[in-house]
Amino acid sequence: MIYLDNAATTRPSDGALARAAHYLTECYYNPSALYHGGAEAARLIRDARGFLLEQIADPALFSLIFTSCGTESDNQAIFSAARRGNAVTTMGEHSAVFESYKELKNRGVETRFAPLNKDASVDVDALLSLVDEKTSLVSVIHVSNETGAVNDIADIARRVKQKNPRAVFMSDGVQAYGKLAFRLTKDIDLYSVSAHKIGALKGTGALLRRKGYSALSAYLHGGGQENGLRSGTENVYGIACFYYAAQEKFASLEKDAARIAAMREQLWSLLDKQLFVRISPEGGSPYILTVSAPGKRGETLQRMLWDLGVAVGTGSACNSKKPHSRVLEACGYDGKILDGVVRVSFCPSNTMEEVQAAARAMNEAARAFGG
Amino acid sequence: MEKVIIIRYAEIHLKGKNRGYFERIFCVNLEKSLKGIRHELRRTSGRYLVAAFADQDADEICSRIARVFGVHSYSVGYRVSNDLDSILEAALVVCPKSGTFKVDTHRADKKYPMTSPQLNAEIGARLLQAHPSLRVDVHAPQGVVYLDIREEGTALVFGTFEEGAGGMPVGTSSKGVLLISGGIDSPVAGYMMAKRGMEVEYLHFHSYPYTNEQARDKVIELARILSRYTLGESITTVKVTHIQEEIHKKCAAELNVTLLRRFMFRIAERIAKKKGAKCLITGESLGQVASQTIEGITSSNAVVTMPVLRPLIGFDKEEIIVRAKKIGTFETSVLPYEDCCTVFLPEFPAIKPKLSFIEEEEKKLDVEALLEEALATAERFSLH
Repeated sequence: MIYLDNAATTRPSDGALARAAHYLTECYYNPSALYHGGAEAARLIRDARGFLLEQIADPALFSLIFTSCGTESDNQAIFSAARRGNAVTTMGEHSAVFESYKELKNRGVETRFAPLNKDASVDVDALLSLVDEKTSLVSVIHVSNETGAVNDIADIARRVKQKNPRAVFMSDGVQAYGKLAFRLTKDIDLYSVSAHKIGALKGTGALLRRKGYSALSAYLHGGGQENGLRSGTENVYGIACFYYAAQEKFASLEKDAARIAAMREQLWSLLDKQLFVRISPEGGSPYILTVSAPGKRGETLQRMLWDLGVAVGTGSACNSKKPHSRVLEACGYDGKILDGVVRVSFCPSNTMEEVQAAARAMNEAARAFGG
Repeated sequence: MEKVIIIRYAEIHLKGKNRGYFERIFCVNLEKSLKGIRHELRRTSGRYLVAAFADQDADEICSRIARVFGVHSYSVGYRVSNDLDSILEAALVVCPKSGTFKVDTHRADKKYPMTSPQLNAEIGARLLQAHPSLRVDVHAPQGVVYLDIREEGTALVFGTFEEGAGGMPVGTSSKGVLLISGGIDSPVAGYMMAKRGMEVEYLHFHSYPYTNEQARDKVIELARILSRYTLGESITTVKVTHIQEEIHKKCAAELNVTLLRRFMFRIAERIAKKKGAKCLITGESLGQVASQTIEGITSSNAVVTMPVLRPLIGFDKEEIIVRAKKIGTFETSVLPYEDCCTVFLPEFPAIKPKLSFIEEEEKKLDVEALLEEALATAERFSLH
């Protein structure tokens, strides 16, 4: 199987799994246990925390708590920060943020959604116009999971704080972490990441927090782990996998990005332009290429491709109640283009040969569609 | 005093000489439904008793029995010897402790030394003595203590009658093939035929890759829920993708669904014959969608010789939904997976297609080859 759905999840790194195995089969102790084994597990968590944090932030300014996934991180951030006034976000958010904002509305917080540019990045001026003195939270996705468009969150956060220094700024960084080179700036209060998008396991995530931001509250109460902010026995093995997979990713981050950008452009160049149109921007994250075969069904193409040995993602589900990607709809695409969306997403272990085979399969599937 | 569940059966007693046959199947079905729970099933005249079960299993036994067709009603109660002290001991357990009550005796053993009214009075008086705050109300009591004096020196004592699923034991009315989609209707249709004693085979058509595996899994799940009543073992799926593609390419768009249904009926009949089934069952309800008009039905019936049973034909959607909820298939039916991709759905389907036009359009297809090809895709999935 040529696996090109890496924005959905990645194959766990063999190296990371092998190194982490010790914490599954031997050092399986509870990190809170006060004997040697417990201390060893706790040490692993401390080391992982330090490493994962310092890759994108200054440990003097930011801290990191482990959670179970990106969605949990987003939820904890949003429901801690937005308790009054209004909360602003974009139409291009992942459901973890978008649906949480809908819930905020149920809880009496006014929600405001900024429109998107054609590539699913946020219209920054429109976003800023929604921010006022009553805004308690602004949330902007870092890299669009649907198109790979990158929002300049450092710049957006700075301008948000200029307008309202008391507004909390958070960003969902699930598609950026371990893939893009960037540093968190002091205007960013909260940032959520996930392990299984970079070669570690599902069930592990993290939330980064600017130390000066003290309003984060716990949603799971119990043993007081993670500084009381996230109780529950730590997922030591998952954290170890996250740590070791991140070591691999960050060691070759820029080299990988350049190689993957070349693969992405190669794929696009090989696609039949009579069949496919491009939705992903020229720039943006090299890890995602979203295209559409107008008038065809992305979901059907996805299964035809699976049968041809290629796994890709889709922006739409063949579902009469919710036929199209909410995000791409907000970008202003018409129904035929929305029907045919296919998202190809890469990881460093993909090869140029795989990409060429995938392009052939995509052309073949789109031609065969409808019999 | 032994805790028992008393099962009364429904229409079996009407079946005269065939009664033994009906009862045997009923008994097998009861045993099947109780598989995995320790129990004994005993036959007494006109009743079945479930006994020798662990107290904690009683609720589950009741819920399983309630789904067996042929069960008219059931009661949780006690089997005791028929002396007054033993009867009273059980009566004290099932009797309310306050409020109004009455004792209602039924005597199967006509040689019993006391008459029913005498027993009502005697046990009632003793219960009043034990619970002074009780009062007798023979017209609208809050609680009833039922005494059933059986032969062999025993009595059954219980406080409630629970309604069973009714109908006839599955397997006593031949076998039919249910065309099951992922929708709300077809599972209800299968339920209704099983209720009349029909053994139901499941057949599902899919159009992979235009429809997804999740939709197929959903249908398997529906069949699994239904099989709690129908005791079905497996489901067969058949892929009709190429048939749809050919119809889409070669025939008038407004007939897409009409023509596909004729293929489905032909396939279903062939599978039915192979499985020893004698009819087809569908969830059609008159006028619900374009293909469920009398013309649509005529067009489908024209390609098969077996009877096609449509138990929902006169039902409104709301009535079907009420039943689906009761059966427990509704929540699964409304999961959002399409059973047919909209790619092949015409914008304006023919509502009253003429048979001559349909047959003319169908000539553009190699019907036999397409049927063979589809039948070769048949897959069987266990429901256990």
